[in-house]
Amino acid sequence: MSFEDKIAEHARRTARAKAMGGPEKLARRAAEGLLNARERLAMLADPGSISEIGLFAVSARPEDRERSPADGVVTGYARIDGREVALAASDLTVLGASSARIASQKIAHLRNSAIRNGMPFLLLGECAGARMPDAQGAAGMGGVGLGYGFNRRRETPWITAILGPSFGLSTWFAVQSDFVVMRKGAALAVSSPKVTAVAISEEIDPEELAGWRLQSEVTGLVDQVTETDEEALAVIRRLLAYLPGHAGELPPEAPERAPARPAEEILALLPESRGKVYDARKVLECIFDAGSLFPFKERFGRSIFTGLARLAGRSIGVIACNPLFKGGALDADACDKAASFIVFCDSYNIPFVQFADTPGFLIGQAGERQRVGGKIMNYVQALELASVPKLAVIMRKSYGQAYLNLGGGLSDEIAAWFTSEIGFVDPAVGVSVVHNLRREQDPARYDELARAMARDNSPYDLAGIFAAQTVIDPRETRDWLQRMLEVHRRRPGGGIGSHRLSVWPTTL
Amino acid sequence: MAIIEVRSEITGKVWRLDASMGEMLGEEAPIMTLESMKMEIPVLAPVAGRLKELLVAEGEPVKEGQVVARLET
Repeated sequence: MSFEDKIAEHARRTARAKAMGGPEKLARRAAEGLLNARERLAMLADPGSISEIGLFAVSARPEDRERSPADGVVTGYARIDGREVALAASDLTVLGASSARIASQKIAHLRNSAIRNGMPFLLLGECAGARMPDAQGAAGMGGVGLGYGFNRRRETPWITAILGPSFGLSTWFAVQSDFVVMRKGAALAVSSPKVTAVAISEEIDPEELAGWRLQSEVTGLVDQVTETDEEALAVIRRLLAYLPGHAGELPPEAPERAPARPAEEILALLPESRGKVYDARKVLECIFDAGSLFPFKERFGRSIFTGLARLAGRSIGVIACNPLFKGGALDADACDKAASFIVFCDSYNIPFVQFADTPGFLIGQAGERQRVGGKIMNYVQALELASVPKLAVIMRKSYGQAYLNLGGGLSDEIAAWFTSEIGFVDPAVGVSVVHNLRREQDPARYDELARAMARDNSPYDLAGIFAAQTVIDPRETRDWLQRMLEVHRRRPGGGIGSHRLSVWPTTL
Repeated sequence: MAIIEVRSEITGKVWRLDASMGEMLGEEAPIMTLESMKMEIPVLAPVAGRLKELLVAEGEPVKEGQVVARLET
Protein backbone atom coordinates (compact mmCIF):
# COMPACT_ATOMS: atom_id res chain seq x y z
CA MET A 1 0.00 0.00 0.00
CA SER A 2 1.19 3.56 -0.72
CA PHE A 3 2.09 5.78 2.20
CA GLU A 4 2.03 2.79 4.53
CA ASP A 5 4.54 4.36 6.89
CA LYS A 6 2.62 7.65 6.89
CA ILE A 7 -0.61 5.85 7.74
CA ALA A 8 1.06 4.00 10.59
CA GLU A 9 2.72 7.15 11.91
CA HIS A 10 -0.57 9.05 11.77
CA ALA A 11 -2.34 6.26 13.68
CA ARG A 12 0.42 6.20 16.29
CA ARG A 13 0.28 9.96 16.82
CA THR A 14 -3.52 9.97 16.94
CA ALA A 15 -3.57 7.19 19.52
CA ARG A 16 -0.91 8.93 21.59
CA ALA A 17 -2.87 12.20 21.63
CA LYS A 18 -6.11 10.46 22.55
CA ALA A 19 -4.39 8.52 25.33
CA MET A 20 -4.28 11.80 27.27
CA GLY A 21 -2.26 11.50 30.51
CA GLY A 22 -1.92 7.73 30.16
CA PRO A 23 -3.81 4.67 31.38
CA GLU A 24 -2.76 4.93 35.05
CA LYS A 25 -3.99 8.48 35.57
CA LEU A 26 -7.18 7.80 33.64
CA ALA A 27 -7.84 4.66 35.72
CA ARG A 28 -7.34 6.64 38.93
CA ARG A 29 -9.93 9.18 37.80
CA ALA A 30 -12.38 6.50 36.82
CA ALA A 31 -11.94 4.88 40.24
CA GLU A 32 -12.85 8.22 41.84
CA GLY A 33 -16.03 8.26 39.77
CA LEU A 34 -14.83 11.19 37.63
CA LEU A 35 -15.25 11.40 33.87
CA ASN A 36 -12.20 12.30 31.81
CA ALA A 37 -12.15 15.25 29.39
CA ARG A 38 -13.17 13.23 26.33
CA GLU A 39 -15.90 11.36 28.19
CA ARG A 40 -17.32 14.67 29.35
CA LEU A 41 -17.41 16.09 25.84
CA ALA A 42 -18.98 12.92 24.47
CA MET A 43 -21.67 13.06 27.13
CA LEU A 44 -22.39 16.75 26.49
CA ALA A 45 -22.52 16.72 22.68
CA ASP A 46 -24.90 14.97 20.30
CA PRO A 47 -23.53 11.50 19.48
CA GLY A 48 -20.86 11.58 16.77
CA SER A 49 -21.05 15.36 16.37
CA ILE A 50 -17.65 16.38 17.79
CA SER A 51 -15.02 17.69 15.37
CA GLU A 52 -11.89 18.08 17.42
CA ILE A 53 -9.38 20.81 16.62
CA GLY A 54 -5.90 20.89 18.07
CA LEU A 55 -5.57 17.15 18.66
CA PHE A 56 -1.91 17.29 17.64
CA ALA A 57 -1.08 20.44 19.58
CA VAL A 58 1.57 19.98 22.26
CA SER A 59 3.55 22.11 24.68
CA ALA A 60 5.62 24.94 23.22
CA ARG A 61 8.61 23.62 25.23
CA PRO A 62 10.45 20.93 23.24
CA GLU A 63 11.26 18.90 26.38
CA ASP A 64 7.53 18.60 27.22
CA ARG A 65 6.23 17.66 23.77
CA GLU A 66 5.99 13.95 24.44
CA ARG A 67 4.06 14.38 27.69
CA SER A 68 1.62 17.09 26.70
CA PRO A 69 -1.00 15.62 24.34
CA ALA A 70 -3.41 18.32 23.14
CA ASP A 71 -1.47 20.55 25.59
CA GLY A 72 -3.95 19.62 28.29
CA VAL A 73 -7.16 20.89 26.74
CA VAL A 74 -9.46 19.09 24.30
CA THR A 75 -11.11 21.59 21.95
CA GLY A 76 -13.54 21.41 19.08
CA TYR A 77 -16.89 22.05 17.51
CA ALA A 78 -19.98 19.97 18.17
CA ARG A 79 -23.74 20.00 18.10
CA ILE A 80 -26.05 20.01 21.09
CA ASP A 81 -29.69 19.29 20.28
CA GLY A 82 -28.69 19.86 16.68
CA ARG A 83 -27.23 23.36 17.29
CA GLU A 84 -23.58 24.25 16.73
CA VAL A 85 -21.39 25.03 19.75
CA ALA A 86 -17.69 25.54 20.38
CA LEU A 87 -16.42 23.58 23.36
CA ALA A 88 -13.30 22.93 25.37
CA ALA A 89 -12.60 20.47 28.15
CA SER A 90 -9.54 20.74 30.36
CA ASP A 91 -7.61 17.50 30.73
CA LEU A 92 -6.28 17.39 34.27
CA THR A 93 -4.31 14.22 33.50
CA VAL A 94 -1.99 16.22 31.23
CA LEU A 95 0.30 18.45 33.31
CA GLY A 96 -2.66 19.36 35.52
CA ALA A 97 -4.37 21.12 32.59
CA SER A 98 -2.14 24.01 33.56
CA SER A 99 -2.41 27.29 31.66
CA ALA A 100 0.28 27.35 29.00
CA ARG A 101 0.94 29.01 25.67
CA ILE A 102 -0.43 26.49 23.18
CA ALA A 103 -3.42 25.55 25.35
CA SER A 104 -4.29 29.23 25.64
CA GLN A 105 -3.93 29.69 21.88
CA LYS A 106 -6.33 26.80 21.30
CA ILE A 107 -8.94 28.30 23.61
CA ALA A 108 -8.48 31.78 22.12
CA HIS A 109 -8.92 30.36 18.60
CA LEU A 110 -12.09 28.57 19.64
CA ARG A 111 -13.46 31.60 21.46
CA ASN A 112 -12.83 33.87 18.47
CA SER A 113 -14.34 31.35 16.09
CA ALA A 114 -17.44 31.06 18.31
CA ILE A 115 -17.84 34.84 18.26
CA ARG A 116 -17.31 35.12 14.49
CA ASN A 117 -19.68 32.29 13.69
CA GLY A 118 -22.36 32.96 16.28
CA MET A 119 -22.05 29.90 18.50
CA PRO A 120 -22.16 29.48 22.28
CA PHE A 121 -18.77 28.83 23.85
CA LEU A 122 -18.65 26.11 26.51
CA LEU A 123 -15.76 25.33 28.82
CA LEU A 124 -15.56 22.27 31.04
CA GLY A 125 -12.90 23.64 33.31
CA GLU A 126 -10.22 22.20 35.52
CA CYS A 127 -6.84 23.80 35.93
CA ALA A 128 -3.99 23.44 38.41
CA GLY A 129 -2.88 27.02 37.66
CA ALA A 130 -0.22 28.57 35.46
CA ARG A 131 2.26 26.03 34.08
CA MET A 132 5.74 26.32 35.53
CA PRO A 133 8.34 27.03 34.46
CA ASP A 134 6.66 28.06 31.18
CA ALA A 135 5.10 31.24 32.57
CA GLN A 136 8.13 32.15 34.68
CA GLY A 137 10.53 34.89 33.72
CA ALA A 138 10.01 38.00 31.63
CA ALA A 139 9.71 36.06 28.39
CA GLY A 140 7.28 33.62 29.99
CA MET A 141 5.06 36.29 31.48
CA GLY A 142 5.41 38.54 28.45
CA GLY A 143 4.30 35.65 26.25
CA VAL A 144 1.13 35.24 28.30
CA GLY A 145 0.12 38.75 27.35
CA LEU A 146 0.43 38.31 23.60
CA GLY A 147 -2.82 38.11 21.75
CA TYR A 148 -5.30 36.34 24.02
CA GLY A 149 -7.25 39.32 25.31
CA PHE A 150 -9.97 39.60 27.91
CA ASN A 151 -12.43 41.67 25.93
CA ARG A 152 -15.80 40.19 26.85
CA ARG A 153 -18.62 41.76 24.85
CA ARG A 154 -21.31 39.07 25.21
CA GLU A 155 -21.56 38.42 21.46
CA THR A 156 -22.37 34.78 22.19
CA PRO A 157 -23.33 32.96 25.38
CA TRP A 158 -20.43 31.61 27.43
CA ILE A 159 -21.11 28.80 29.85
CA THR A 160 -18.53 27.25 32.17
CA ALA A 161 -18.71 24.05 34.20
CA ILE A 162 -16.18 23.79 37.02
CA LEU A 163 -15.62 20.06 37.39
CA GLY A 164 -12.38 19.89 39.35
CA PRO A 165 -9.73 22.14 40.87
CA SER A 166 -9.76 25.44 38.99
CA PHE A 167 -7.05 27.96 39.76
CA GLY A 168 -5.96 29.52 36.49
CA LEU A 169 -7.32 30.10 33.02
CA SER A 170 -10.58 28.26 33.73
CA THR A 171 -11.24 30.61 36.65
CA TRP A 172 -10.89 33.65 34.40
CA PHE A 173 -13.29 32.08 31.93
CA ALA A 174 -15.76 31.12 34.64
CA VAL A 175 -16.01 34.60 36.10
CA GLN A 176 -16.49 36.12 32.64
CA SER A 177 -19.17 33.58 31.72
CA ASP A 178 -22.90 34.14 31.55
CA PHE A 179 -23.50 31.06 33.65
CA VAL A 180 -21.37 28.81 35.84
CA VAL A 181 -22.27 25.35 37.11
CA MET A 182 -19.99 23.72 39.68
CA ARG A 183 -19.76 20.13 40.82
CA LYS A 184 -19.53 19.64 44.58
CA GLY A 185 -15.94 18.80 45.48
CA ALA A 186 -14.54 20.99 42.71
CA ALA A 187 -12.71 24.21 43.57
CA LEU A 188 -12.84 27.69 42.05
CA ALA A 189 -10.36 30.35 43.08
CA VAL A 190 -7.72 32.70 41.74
CA SER A 191 -4.94 30.78 43.44
CA SER A 192 -4.57 27.33 44.98
CA PRO A 193 -4.29 26.68 48.73
CA LYS A 194 -0.66 25.67 48.13
CA VAL A 195 0.30 29.03 46.61
CA THR A 196 -1.84 30.85 49.17
CA ALA A 197 0.02 29.17 52.04
CA VAL A 198 3.41 30.20 50.61
CA ALA A 199 2.50 33.75 49.58
CA ILE A 200 0.49 35.00 52.55
CA SER A 201 1.05 32.28 55.18
CA GLU A 202 -2.65 31.47 55.13
CA GLU A 203 -3.17 27.77 55.70
CA ILE A 204 -6.64 27.13 54.42
CA ASP A 205 -8.79 24.17 53.57
CA PRO A 206 -9.55 24.01 49.80
CA GLU A 207 -13.31 23.91 50.46
CA GLU A 208 -13.13 27.08 52.54
CA LEU A 209 -10.96 28.88 49.99
CA ALA A 210 -12.65 27.72 46.83
CA GLY A 211 -15.55 25.33 47.53
CA TRP A 212 -19.10 25.30 46.21
CA ARG A 213 -20.62 26.76 49.38
CA LEU A 214 -18.40 29.84 49.23
CA GLN A 215 -18.86 30.40 45.51
CA SER A 216 -22.60 29.74 45.33
CA GLU A 217 -23.74 31.22 48.67
CA VAL A 218 -21.25 33.95 49.61
CA THR A 219 -19.84 35.27 46.31
CA GLY A 220 -22.57 34.28 43.85
CA LEU A 221 -19.96 33.55 41.17
CA VAL A 222 -21.47 30.09 40.73
CA ASP A 223 -25.05 29.88 39.46
CA GLN A 224 -25.90 26.22 40.05
CA VAL A 225 -24.30 23.36 41.99
CA THR A 226 -24.57 19.66 41.18
CA GLU A 227 -23.51 16.42 42.85
CA THR A 228 -21.98 14.84 39.73
CA ASP A 229 -20.32 15.65 36.41
CA GLU A 230 -23.27 14.10 34.59
CA GLU A 231 -25.74 16.45 36.29
CA ALA A 232 -23.56 19.46 35.51
CA LEU A 233 -23.50 18.54 31.82
CA ALA A 234 -27.28 18.06 31.83
CA VAL A 235 -27.62 21.58 33.30
CA ILE A 236 -25.65 23.01 30.34
CA ARG A 237 -27.78 21.17 27.78
CA ARG A 238 -30.92 22.39 29.50
CA LEU A 239 -29.74 26.01 29.68
CA LEU A 240 -28.77 26.13 25.99
CA ALA A 241 -32.35 25.34 25.03
CA TYR A 242 -33.43 28.75 26.41
CA LEU A 243 -30.71 30.72 24.63
CA PRO A 244 -30.02 31.99 21.13
CA GLY A 245 -26.74 30.91 19.52
CA HIS A 246 -25.63 34.55 19.50
CA ALA A 247 -26.78 38.05 20.38
CA GLY A 248 -28.12 38.68 16.87
CA GLU A 249 -30.91 36.11 16.98
CA LEU A 250 -33.93 35.23 19.10
CA PRO A 251 -34.00 32.31 21.55
CA PRO A 252 -35.52 29.08 20.21
CA GLU A 253 -39.10 28.19 21.14
CA ALA A 254 -40.40 25.05 22.82
CA PRO A 255 -43.91 23.57 22.88
CA GLU A 256 -46.27 25.34 25.28
CA ARG A 257 -46.99 23.63 28.60
CA ALA A 258 -49.66 24.55 31.13
CA PRO A 259 -48.33 25.65 34.54
CA ALA A 260 -47.64 22.91 37.09
CA ARG A 261 -49.96 24.58 39.61
CA PRO A 262 -53.36 26.05 38.83
CA ALA A 263 -53.73 29.85 38.86
CA GLU A 264 -56.31 29.47 41.65
CA GLU A 265 -53.52 28.39 43.96
CA ILE A 266 -51.93 31.86 43.93
CA LEU A 267 -54.66 33.10 46.23
CA ALA A 268 -53.99 30.25 48.66
CA LEU A 269 -50.21 30.80 48.60
CA LEU A 270 -50.42 34.53 49.33
CA PRO A 271 -50.90 35.03 53.10
CA GLU A 272 -53.78 37.32 54.03
CA SER A 273 -51.71 38.74 56.87
CA ARG A 274 -49.37 41.34 55.36
CA GLY A 275 -46.49 40.53 57.72
CA LYS A 276 -46.37 36.83 56.86
CA VAL A 277 -43.92 35.30 54.40
CA TYR A 278 -44.28 32.71 51.63
CA ASP A 279 -42.16 31.14 48.92
CA ALA A 280 -42.58 33.19 45.75
CA ARG A 281 -41.20 30.31 43.66
CA LYS A 282 -44.44 28.45 44.23
CA VAL A 283 -46.38 31.42 42.91
CA LEU A 284 -44.18 31.46 39.81
CA GLU A 285 -45.09 27.81 39.22
CA CYS A 286 -48.72 28.94 38.90
CA ILE A 287 -47.78 31.35 36.10
CA PHE A 288 -45.04 29.86 33.88
CA ASP A 289 -44.89 26.66 31.81
CA ALA A 290 -44.60 23.52 33.96
CA GLY A 291 -41.01 22.57 34.82
CA SER A 292 -39.56 25.60 33.03
CA LEU A 293 -38.10 27.58 35.96
CA PHE A 294 -34.32 27.52 35.66
CA PRO A 295 -32.74 29.43 38.56
CA PHE A 296 -29.60 31.56 38.44
CA LYS A 297 -27.71 32.06 41.75
CA GLU A 298 -30.51 30.52 43.79
CA ARG A 299 -28.33 30.19 46.92
CA PHE A 300 -27.09 33.81 46.76
CA GLY A 301 -28.99 37.01 47.57
CA ARG A 302 -32.03 34.84 48.19
CA SER A 303 -34.51 37.62 48.89
CA ILE A 304 -34.71 37.95 45.12
CA PHE A 305 -35.19 35.04 42.72
CA THR A 306 -33.68 35.26 39.25
CA GLY A 307 -34.04 32.68 36.54
CA LEU A 308 -35.21 31.74 33.10
CA ALA A 309 -38.64 30.34 32.45
CA ARG A 310 -40.94 29.70 29.54
CA LEU A 311 -44.22 31.43 28.89
CA ALA A 312 -46.22 29.55 26.27
CA GLY A 313 -42.95 28.00 25.08
CA ARG A 314 -40.96 31.24 24.79
CA SER A 315 -37.93 32.12 26.92
CA ILE A 316 -38.51 34.81 29.51
CA GLY A 317 -36.39 36.15 32.35
CA VAL A 318 -37.96 36.24 35.81
CA ILE A 319 -36.85 38.49 38.66
CA ALA A 320 -39.06 38.00 41.72
CA CYS A 321 -38.79 39.13 45.32
CA ASN A 322 -38.97 36.11 47.58
CA PRO A 323 -40.38 37.05 50.99
CA LEU A 324 -39.38 33.62 52.34
CA PHE A 325 -35.88 35.08 52.74
CA LYS A 326 -35.31 38.34 54.66
CA GLY A 327 -39.02 39.03 54.24
CA GLY A 328 -38.26 40.02 50.64
CA ALA A 329 -36.09 42.95 51.79
CA LEU A 330 -33.47 43.52 49.09
CA ASP A 331 -29.83 43.67 50.19
CA ALA A 332 -26.58 44.40 48.35
CA ASP A 333 -26.26 40.83 47.06
CA ALA A 334 -29.84 40.85 45.78
CA CYS A 335 -29.09 44.07 43.85
CA ASP A 336 -25.98 42.58 42.23
CA LYS A 337 -27.92 39.46 41.37
CA ALA A 338 -30.83 41.32 39.76
CA ALA A 339 -28.54 43.68 37.84
CA SER A 340 -26.39 40.86 36.45
CA PHE A 341 -29.49 38.98 35.39
CA ILE A 342 -30.84 42.04 33.54
CA VAL A 343 -27.47 42.31 31.76
CA PHE A 344 -27.80 38.67 30.75
CA CYS A 345 -31.40 38.98 29.46
CA ASP A 346 -30.63 42.19 27.59
CA SER A 347 -27.56 40.68 25.93
CA TYR A 348 -29.44 37.67 24.52
CA ASN A 349 -32.80 39.19 23.53
CA ILE A 350 -34.79 37.67 26.38
CA PRO A 351 -37.73 39.77 27.62
CA PHE A 352 -38.03 39.86 31.40
CA VAL A 353 -40.63 40.46 34.08
CA GLN A 354 -40.10 41.66 37.63
CA PHE A 355 -42.41 40.60 40.45
CA ALA A 356 -42.46 42.93 43.45
CA ASP A 357 -43.16 41.93 47.03
CA THR A 358 -40.71 43.78 49.21
CA PRO A 359 -40.86 45.94 52.32
CA GLY A 360 -37.99 47.87 50.69
CA PHE A 361 -34.22 47.81 50.49
CA LEU A 362 -32.66 46.38 53.60
CA ILE A 363 -31.27 49.37 55.43
CA GLY A 364 -28.64 49.37 58.17
CA GLN A 365 -24.92 49.21 58.74
CA ALA A 366 -24.29 45.83 57.08
CA GLY A 367 -25.65 47.14 53.79
CA GLU A 368 -23.80 50.43 53.96
CA ARG A 369 -20.53 48.58 54.45
CA GLN A 370 -21.28 46.66 51.25
CA ARG A 371 -21.92 49.90 49.30
CA VAL A 372 -25.59 49.04 48.93
CA GLY A 373 -26.44 52.55 47.72
CA GLY A 374 -24.17 52.15 44.71
CA LYS A 375 -25.55 48.69 44.02
CA ILE A 376 -29.15 49.92 44.12
CA MET A 377 -28.27 52.51 41.48
CA ASN A 378 -26.39 49.94 39.35
CA TYR A 379 -29.52 47.80 39.37
CA VAL A 380 -31.84 50.63 38.37
CA GLN A 381 -29.38 51.81 35.72
CA ALA A 382 -29.34 48.31 34.21
CA LEU A 383 -33.13 48.39 34.13
CA GLU A 384 -33.13 51.78 32.40
CA LEU A 385 -30.60 50.69 29.76
CA ALA A 386 -32.17 47.31 28.95
CA SER A 387 -33.85 47.42 25.56
CA VAL A 388 -35.66 44.07 25.61
CA PRO A 389 -39.36 44.10 26.56
CA LYS A 390 -39.58 44.63 30.33
CA LEU A 391 -42.74 44.07 32.31
CA ALA A 392 -43.57 44.44 36.00
CA VAL A 393 -46.12 42.88 38.32
CA ILE A 394 -46.67 44.20 41.84
CA MET A 395 -47.79 41.19 43.87
CA ARG A 396 -48.04 42.60 47.35
CA LYS A 397 -45.71 45.18 48.91
CA SER A 398 -43.68 47.64 46.89
CA TYR A 399 -42.07 50.39 48.93
CA GLY A 400 -39.69 53.25 48.38
CA GLN A 401 -36.79 53.13 45.94
CA ALA A 402 -37.38 49.37 45.63
CA TYR A 403 -40.69 50.20 43.89
CA LEU A 404 -38.66 51.97 41.19
CA ASN A 405 -35.99 49.25 40.91
CA LEU A 406 -38.71 46.65 40.51
CA GLY A 407 -40.01 48.50 37.50
CA GLY A 408 -42.17 51.33 38.86
CA GLY A 409 -42.18 53.94 36.08
CA LEU A 410 -39.38 52.09 34.29
CA SER A 411 -41.21 49.18 32.63
CA ASP A 412 -43.04 48.86 29.34
CA GLU A 413 -46.20 47.84 31.22
CA ILE A 414 -47.02 47.47 34.91
CA ALA A 415 -49.84 45.45 36.42
CA ALA A 416 -50.66 45.70 40.12
CA TRP A 417 -52.46 42.77 41.72
CA PHE A 418 -55.53 43.74 43.74
CA THR A 419 -53.55 42.43 46.73
CA SER A 420 -50.81 45.05 46.30
CA GLU A 421 -49.88 48.09 48.36
CA ILE A 422 -47.52 50.84 47.25
CA GLY A 423 -45.91 53.67 49.16
CA PHE A 424 -42.72 55.24 50.42
CA VAL A 425 -42.42 53.20 53.63
CA ASP A 426 -44.55 50.63 55.41
CA PRO A 427 -47.38 52.45 57.24
CA ALA A 428 -46.16 51.07 60.55
CA VAL A 429 -42.84 52.87 60.02
CA GLY A 430 -44.44 55.84 58.27
CA VAL A 431 -46.61 56.83 61.24
CA SER A 432 -43.59 57.02 63.52
CA VAL A 433 -41.64 59.09 61.01
CA VAL A 434 -44.42 61.48 59.88
CA HIS A 435 -46.24 61.93 63.22
CA ASN A 436 -43.28 61.34 65.54
CA LEU A 437 -45.38 58.77 67.40
CA ARG A 438 -44.49 55.27 68.59
CA ARG A 439 -47.27 52.74 69.05
CA GLU A 440 -46.58 52.29 72.78
CA GLN A 441 -47.27 56.02 73.36
CA ASP A 442 -50.88 55.96 72.06
CA PRO A 443 -51.93 52.64 70.47
CA ALA A 444 -55.43 53.78 69.41
CA ARG A 445 -54.24 56.92 67.64
CA TYR A 446 -51.27 55.12 66.12
CA ASP A 447 -53.49 52.37 64.68
CA GLU A 448 -55.93 54.89 63.23
CA LEU A 449 -53.11 56.85 61.56
CA ALA A 450 -51.59 53.61 60.22
CA ARG A 451 -54.97 52.55 58.78
CA ALA A 452 -55.34 55.90 57.04
CA MET A 453 -51.85 55.58 55.56
CA ALA A 454 -52.57 52.02 54.40
CA ARG A 455 -55.70 53.21 52.59
CA ASP A 456 -53.54 55.62 50.58
CA ASN A 457 -51.36 52.71 49.43
CA SER A 458 -54.05 51.21 47.20
CA PRO A 459 -53.17 49.84 43.74
CA TYR A 460 -56.21 51.68 42.36
CA ASP A 461 -54.56 54.96 43.37
CA LEU A 462 -51.45 53.87 41.45
CA ALA A 463 -53.59 53.01 38.42
CA GLY A 464 -55.55 56.23 39.01
CA ILE A 465 -52.51 58.34 38.11
CA PHE A 466 -51.66 55.74 35.39
CA ALA A 467 -48.38 54.79 37.10
CA ALA A 468 -49.72 51.24 36.73
CA GLN A 469 -51.41 50.37 33.45
CA THR A 470 -53.88 48.04 35.13
CA VAL A 471 -54.99 46.35 38.34
CA ILE A 472 -55.51 42.62 37.86
CA ASP A 473 -56.69 39.53 39.68
CA PRO A 474 -53.50 37.49 40.39
CA ARG A 475 -55.08 34.57 38.56
CA GLU A 476 -55.01 36.57 35.30
CA THR A 477 -51.23 37.07 35.40
CA ARG A 478 -50.22 34.46 32.81
CA ASP A 479 -52.72 35.77 30.26
CA TRP A 480 -51.72 39.37 30.93
CA LEU A 481 -48.00 38.63 30.49
CA GLN A 482 -48.62 36.72 27.26
CA ARG A 483 -50.71 39.50 25.81
CA MET A 484 -48.25 42.25 26.76
CA LEU A 485 -45.35 40.31 25.25
CA GLU A 486 -47.28 39.86 22.00
CA VAL A 487 -47.48 43.64 21.83
CA HIS A 488 -43.99 44.53 23.02
CA ARG A 489 -42.19 41.95 20.93
CA ARG A 490 -43.37 43.80 17.84
CA ARG A 491 -40.82 46.59 18.19
CA PRO A 492 -38.69 47.26 15.12
CA GLY A 493 -35.59 45.07 15.04
CA GLY A 494 -37.61 41.90 15.37
CA GLY A 495 -36.87 41.49 19.06
CA ILE A 496 -33.10 41.99 18.76
CA GLY A 497 -32.15 44.57 21.37
CA SER A 498 -29.53 47.31 21.16
CA HIS A 499 -27.39 45.52 23.81
CA ARG A 500 -26.19 48.59 25.64
CA LEU A 501 -25.42 46.35 28.63
CA SER A 502 -23.33 43.84 26.72
CA VAL A 503 -20.06 45.48 27.78
CA TRP A 504 -20.99 45.88 31.44
CA PRO A 505 -18.58 44.42 34.00
CA THR A 506 -18.43 40.65 33.90
CA THR A 507 -18.94 40.46 37.67
CA LEU A 508 -21.19 42.98 39.40
CA MET B 1 -22.76 13.84 65.50
CA ALA B 2 -22.09 17.44 64.66
CA ILE B 3 -23.09 20.81 66.08
CA ILE B 4 -24.64 23.11 63.49
CA GLU B 5 -24.77 26.85 64.14
CA VAL B 6 -27.97 28.60 63.12
CA ARG B 7 -27.50 32.24 62.17
CA SER B 8 -29.89 35.13 61.75
CA GLU B 9 -30.05 36.21 58.11
CA ILE B 10 -31.18 39.71 59.02
CA THR B 11 -30.82 42.42 61.66
CA GLY B 12 -33.99 42.82 63.73
CA LYS B 13 -35.41 41.47 66.95
CA VAL B 14 -36.70 38.13 68.18
CA TRP B 15 -40.48 38.26 67.94
CA ARG B 16 -41.35 34.72 69.04
CA LEU B 17 -39.62 31.43 69.82
CA ASP B 18 -41.23 28.60 67.83
CA ALA B 19 -39.28 25.57 69.07
CA SER B 20 -38.15 24.47 72.51
CA MET B 21 -34.87 23.13 73.84
CA GLY B 22 -34.27 19.48 73.12
CA GLU B 23 -36.93 19.37 70.43
CA MET B 24 -36.23 17.23 67.36
CA LEU B 25 -36.62 19.43 64.26
CA GLY B 26 -36.91 18.51 60.61
CA GLU B 27 -35.01 20.43 57.93
CA GLU B 28 -36.63 23.87 57.41
CA ALA B 29 -38.67 23.59 60.62
CA PRO B 30 -39.12 27.04 62.22
CA ILE B 31 -36.92 27.69 65.27
CA MET B 32 -37.98 31.27 65.90
CA THR B 33 -39.57 34.25 64.17
CA LEU B 34 -37.74 37.55 63.85
CA GLU B 35 -39.32 40.93 63.30
CA SER B 36 -37.52 43.17 60.82
CA MET B 37 -38.63 45.59 58.12
CA LYS B 38 -42.13 45.08 59.64
CA MET B 39 -42.09 41.46 58.44
CA GLU B 40 -42.28 38.22 60.41
CA ILE B 41 -39.18 36.39 59.24
CA PRO B 42 -38.75 32.75 60.21
CA VAL B 43 -35.40 31.29 61.22
CA LEU B 44 -35.48 27.75 59.81
CA ALA B 45 -33.42 24.71 60.76
CA PRO B 46 -30.76 24.41 58.01
CA VAL B 47 -30.67 20.64 58.56
CA ALA B 48 -32.67 18.16 60.63
CA GLY B 49 -31.46 17.94 64.21
CA ARG B 50 -32.10 18.36 67.92
CA LEU B 51 -32.31 21.92 69.26
CA LYS B 52 -29.36 21.97 71.64
CA GLU B 53 -29.04 25.68 72.45
CA LEU B 54 -31.24 28.74 72.12
CA LEU B 55 -28.98 31.76 72.44
CA VAL B 56 -31.56 34.57 72.32
CA ALA B 57 -34.78 35.45 74.12
CA GLU B 58 -38.03 36.96 72.89
CA GLY B 59 -37.71 40.72 72.37
CA GLU B 60 -33.92 40.61 72.09
CA PRO B 61 -32.24 42.45 69.19
CA VAL B 62 -30.15 40.31 66.80
CA LYS B 63 -27.57 41.22 64.18
CA GLU B 64 -27.29 39.78 60.68
CA GLY B 65 -25.05 36.72 60.86
CA GLN B 66 -25.41 36.33 64.66
CA VAL B 67 -25.56 32.74 65.94
CA VAL B 68 -29.02 32.41 67.50
CA ALA B 69 -29.23 28.65 68.08
CA ARG B 70 -27.26 25.43 67.81
CA LEU B 71 -28.53 22.12 66.49
CA GLU B 72 -27.09 18.69 67.14
CA THR B 73 -27.29 16.35 64.18
